[in-house]
Amino acid sequence: MTVSSASKPASPSAAFPQENRLADRWEIEIRRRRLYTALTVFIIAGLTLASLVFANETNAGKFFDRLPYFFDFFGDLIPRDAMEPIRALFDLPSPYDNGSFKYDYPAGRHDFIGVFYIPEYFMAMLETLNIALLSTMIGFTFGFLFSFLASRNLVRSVWIRGAVRRLMEVLRAFPEIVIAGFFVAIMSLGPIPAIAAVAIHTIGALGKLFFETVENADMGPDEGLRASGASWVERVRFGIVPQVMPNFMSYTLLRLEINVRASTIIGAVGGGGIGELLRLSISRGHEAKTLAIVFLLFCTIVAVDQFSAWLRRRLIGEQNFGLA
Amino acid sequence: MLTLDSLTKRFGDKVAVDAVELDIPEGQMVGIIGRSGAGKSTLLRMINRLIDPSEGQIRFGDVNVTTLSGSALRRWNRDCAMIFQQFNLVPRLDVLTNVLLGRLNHKSTFASLAGLYSREERLMAIAMLERLGVVQTALQPAGTLSGGQQQRVAIARAMMQEPRLILADEPIASLDPLNAKVVMDSLADINRREGITVVTNLHTLDTARTYCQRIIGMFEGRVVFDGTPAELTAAEARRLYGAANDGFSEAMTSTALADDDNASTGAPTRSLEEDRADTELAKQRAEALV
Repeated sequence: MTVSSASKPASPSAAFPQENRLADRWEIEIRRRRLYTALTVFIIAGLTLASLVFANETNAGKFFDRLPYFFDFFGDLIPRDAMEPIRALFDLPSPYDNGSFKYDYPAGRHDFIGVFYIPEYFMAMLETLNIALLSTMIGFTFGFLFSFLASRNLVRSVWIRGAVRRLMEVLRAFPEIVIAGFFVAIMSLGPIPAIAAVAIHTIGALGKLFFETVENADMGPDEGLRASGASWVERVRFGIVPQVMPNFMSYTLLRLEINVRASTIIGAVGGGGIGELLRLSISRGHEAKTLAIVFLLFCTIVAVDQFSAWLRRRLIGEQNFGLA
Repeated sequence: MLTLDSLTKRFGDKVAVDAVELDIPEGQMVGIIGRSGAGKSTLLRMINRLIDPSEGQIRFGDVNVTTLSGSALRRWNRDCAMIFQQFNLVPRLDVLTNVLLGRLNHKSTFASLAGLYSREERLMAIAMLERLGVVQTALQPAGTLSGGQQQRVAIARAMMQEPRLILADEPIASLDPLNAKVVMDSLADINRREGITVVTNLHTLDTARTYCQRIIGMFEGRVVFDGTPAELTAAEARRLYGAANDGFSEAMTSTALADDDNASTGAPTRSLEEDRADTELAKQRAEALV
């Protein structure tokens, strides 16, 4: 709108009626938004408090009543001498050996070559890592294949897309530990049910992250290939995959980290590996063994996280030099 | 001969292309001009079948392009190469691979997934890059090239399809004048030497006048002008751009492609020897790659 400069306005608000109305509306809008934000925060705080009280009521022992006993558990974890956890970790003979399971460290040795052996917990840790690695690879393969079929920009048919998406939802609906429970019942104890359980969850989880990445891909290269007569598979391979691969790798490495933890937990319900040994040693009160396993687990998880961060930088950093 | 028969495209209520009738004989270089939103882009995309027409027919020789589907449609896509404003290369793949992607329709899906390209195809790709003056970039990721270089790579890819017709959708709209000239020269050269029909959308009148034997003007989805550059008078142009009589001149749509501009810009001062050495090196690398 135009305001004639000839007539001097008495006050600014009188001179610019439209602008003023707009400014007022904006202020009302802002106030309303602030009110909503305050209300939301208030409601969430209330709900949080209510659920904490509910959890404490339903718990067997009350949180604050039991808090003084918190350090008793750690007291029980102190071994007879400082060397005991190291002996347990490397399967060295213990001076306290009285024939019980508590001190039978060398019994777990796995023969290697001649006098060399692999300590029991290192072997079990390897088993757990193997479960994580294998299930991540299976999950990646199927998640990769499913993701393109689930993407709106690549598949027009709602039926195919819907079917693949529902399938992936079902696969990731159950936590690994629940699926593992079923498989252990079917296939008995060991790493195979653990691999199946973690892989199934991984397919669903990675597939979802993957197809969301694919849906955000730039469709320019795809259009270029379509206009030169490329088939669907060729368009996906050359137009989409080069773009999404760095993201796929990043998600997969993140999933590997998660799967190392998941396969440890699954060991505790009969999936083999270090988790099983940890559960046994805690429940039997073998403090030196428990400490050795926890230490080994901690080191492994830190190492895997560091390695995957390094690999991610190597793989994705290099490909990301300022490309559109 | 490409024939469009009352070709129409509607998006909802809006008519983007309105009953277009055209005959384009083989070997012609045609420029389509008009304001943005005049339906130029939609028309080209329909010819390549990137979008389906609402009504009407496209015929090429005795093939009814409108009803093609499946592998016959993909073969048409191959015969009718397309150049885009945004190049539509695969930025993360190297230039040579991008050019070789033009061969996808010539081979089985298995062979292309396995990357099985014959030595002839590789040499053909390198020769095409050399002809377009971008062979020194052959092993770089396509995304690291300048706009002008990317568009030339896109032309090389189009040529690998061994097309019978090239459609160019605003090929120079995102390029600076110098690169625009190089790209238009390449298209004109292909048209002249290989005798391939080139149909190109342009938004600048002077480019169309300089390069095209025939100019088609579109306004609100309809063809309102069809003739030689000489027949496109100032009055016609004004009508085409829907401009009021006051203050419209051709210079407004110009990107000034006059020849003597080259000398004055004189941008990168590289000697011919340096360029040649680069090309030689690139050729050796390319040979080693093959």
